[in-house]
Amino acid sequence: MGTSDAETVVSLDGVRKEYDLGGTVTALDGVTLDFEPGSYSAVMGPSGSGKSTLLNLVGALDTPTDGDVVVAGRNIPTLSESERVALRGTRIGFIFQTFNLMPRLTAEENVALPLLFAEWERSRRRERARSLLDDVGLGDRIDHLPQELSGGQRQRVAIARALASDPDLILADEPTGNVDTETGEGIMRLLEDANDRGNAIILVTHERRIAEHADRIIHITDGVVEGIESIEQTTPEPLQ
Amino acid sequence: MKFRDGIGIAWRSLTGHRLRSALTTVGIVIGIATVIIFASFGTSVQTDIVGEFEDTAASEIIIVTGDVGLDPSSGGDGGPPPSADELGNIALPGITVHDLDQLSQIDGVRSVIPRGSIDASSVSYQNETRPQSVIATTPAALPEENFVSGGPFEQGDSGEIVLSETAANEFEGDVGVNDTVVIDYGNSKENFTVVGIISQARGGLNVFGSFSAEVYVPTDPYYREYGNTVESPSQGVEQAAYRQVTVVAEPNQVSETRDRIERYFEEESDAGQVVEEGVTVQSTAAIVDGIESVLNDVIQLVSGIGILALLVGAFGIANIMLVSVTERTKEIGIMKANGAHNREVMGLFLAESTLLGLAGAVVGIPVGLIVGFGAAAYAEVGFTVPFGWIAVATAMGITTGIVAGLYPAWRAARVDPIDALRYE
Repeated sequence: MGTSDAETVVSLDGVRKEYDLGGTVTALDGVTLDFEPGSYSAVMGPSGSGKSTLLNLVGALDTPTDGDVVVAGRNIPTLSESERVALRGTRIGFIFQTFNLMPRLTAEENVALPLLFAEWERSRRRERARSLLDDVGLGDRIDHLPQELSGGQRQRVAIARALASDPDLILADEPTGNVDTETGEGIMRLLEDANDRGNAIILVTHERRIAEHADRIIHITDGVVEGIESIEQTTPEPLQ
Repeated sequence: MKFRDGIGIAWRSLTGHRLRSALTTVGIVIGIATVIIFASFGTSVQTDIVGEFEDTAASEIIIVTGDVGLDPSSGGDGGPPPSADELGNIALPGITVHDLDQLSQIDGVRSVIPRGSIDASSVSYQNETRPQSVIATTPAALPEENFVSGGPFEQGDSGEIVLSETAANEFEGDVGVNDTVVIDYGNSKENFTVVGIISQARGGLNVFGSFSAEVYVPTDPYYREYGNTVESPSQGVEQAAYRQVTVVAEPNQVSETRDRIERYFEEESDAGQVVEEGVTVQSTAAIVDGIESVLNDVIQLVSGIGILALLVGAFGIANIMLVSVTERTKEIGIMKANGAHNREVMGLFLAESTLLGLAGAVVGIPVGLIVGFGAAAYAEVGFTVPFGWIAVATAMGITTGIVAGLYPAWRAARVDPIDALRYE
């Protein structure tokens, strides 16, 4: 590991991930990376380069074949299934390309889902979910089912859900992949707001324009980190 | 996740597919309803029969010659106890007049009712002749409260006769008090005056409600003349001998009195010496217990048919839950990504299948009660709500739901979150 746990929210050290798909397929090969608290990183690479595998490992959805993946001070390979679940529920927020909302739950209930599994009281859950929906501009849609919302609105619900337990880390997998450009810009502004409030963000995308919202872009090809590019952020001019 | 929240989410999933949930529950509804129909109808019949018998005969002790299984539960084929006529064919006459005198002196005996068949071929009223049983007995067998009209005969050569209501109804013309009927002894005939019509005489063994077409005459003189006699070993004289005697015991001393009677027949009775197999002594309370036991077995057996329907229902739930797990693979992935433990995912699916089973019970029980009530009304027996079976049916519904949901829930819990999130 390059830096101590206190200085990183995620630290990967020599991470290797192999799949047995008839033969052995190496998805990640010796990846070493650090992500600082409150940082904003984008991961780019062609299809099959290992971006999603990286996100699954950092999201405690999977374990590496070799190496260490330390998230919020916990080394994923050493954790039990139950401990990984607890880590996901409290320290990590997920945003998916296809929104992944529960179809029979309202916007408010979807946002409160992580809090439901964290056994928050119902009244506190509702209060938190409504506040977050207000923040993403959906205060008037709390009782709507996902099917009653547009793509952009659904993704905003998903962002609110990712923020529900105020996680150290938000993992966004192609968050603008299913929305138009203008809506996508709105989604990116919400992520920037979250980042400004201190949530570290790891964003996986194909689009350079989207990746440039981050502070740095990590380029991955064939499971290997090819390079890390720093992005100089300029303050956007206020709209006229 | 808190229990109440889990139930809420499970309920939401079920109501999200109302028609499918309702159709899945039908199997359980049929199973539970079948159990309740048979249980409520069986319990109603049981209560009706036993109640009727207990009202009139709870303190009776029946003594028959020979080794006769009076307890229905001990019968080889589990059938009803033998009727009086059947007893007449299988038991030898041996309980003498001396035995009757001795029985009446035993502590706890209130009255002794001998019962014997008269050797008569038929009974005639006006121009109509019917082959009815002529029973010789005493006025104690004819309680005043059981008379539909008239009253009991007096012992002695009075020419008086009492008809059972069934016997009276069998004649085309209405036989009433003061009418004359004729008993044909084969080689002679005798006129009798009807003094009473009785709904039910004591001392019979027909406990299943339909009472035989019988006519009753005094033992003295008719049984002495036309019945059976044996030489009393203790008295050394020819005496009338009966196959069946009913002792009415003091209500609170039935079992003690029965023991004393058994001892008498084992040690010093005429019947014990005349009849090789001795006598069988049985209190009617024990017979009622036996009937209850047989009916319970029957209820359990037929209610078992409902278990088959429940089994079919269980497969229906399991099938739909497996379909549901597949359909909702992505939802399982979403829940796991948001902090759901395997046990919570399993609990959600188990809660759904349990709710389906419970819904089956909640609908099936009233359906069963309504049909059972209809069946009881049709059979003209009082309806008894089988509370015990309702509890059993509810438990069966819930258990069926749990068992049927176990495997699908286990499959749901084992879904890999990465595969699930990719699932389309």
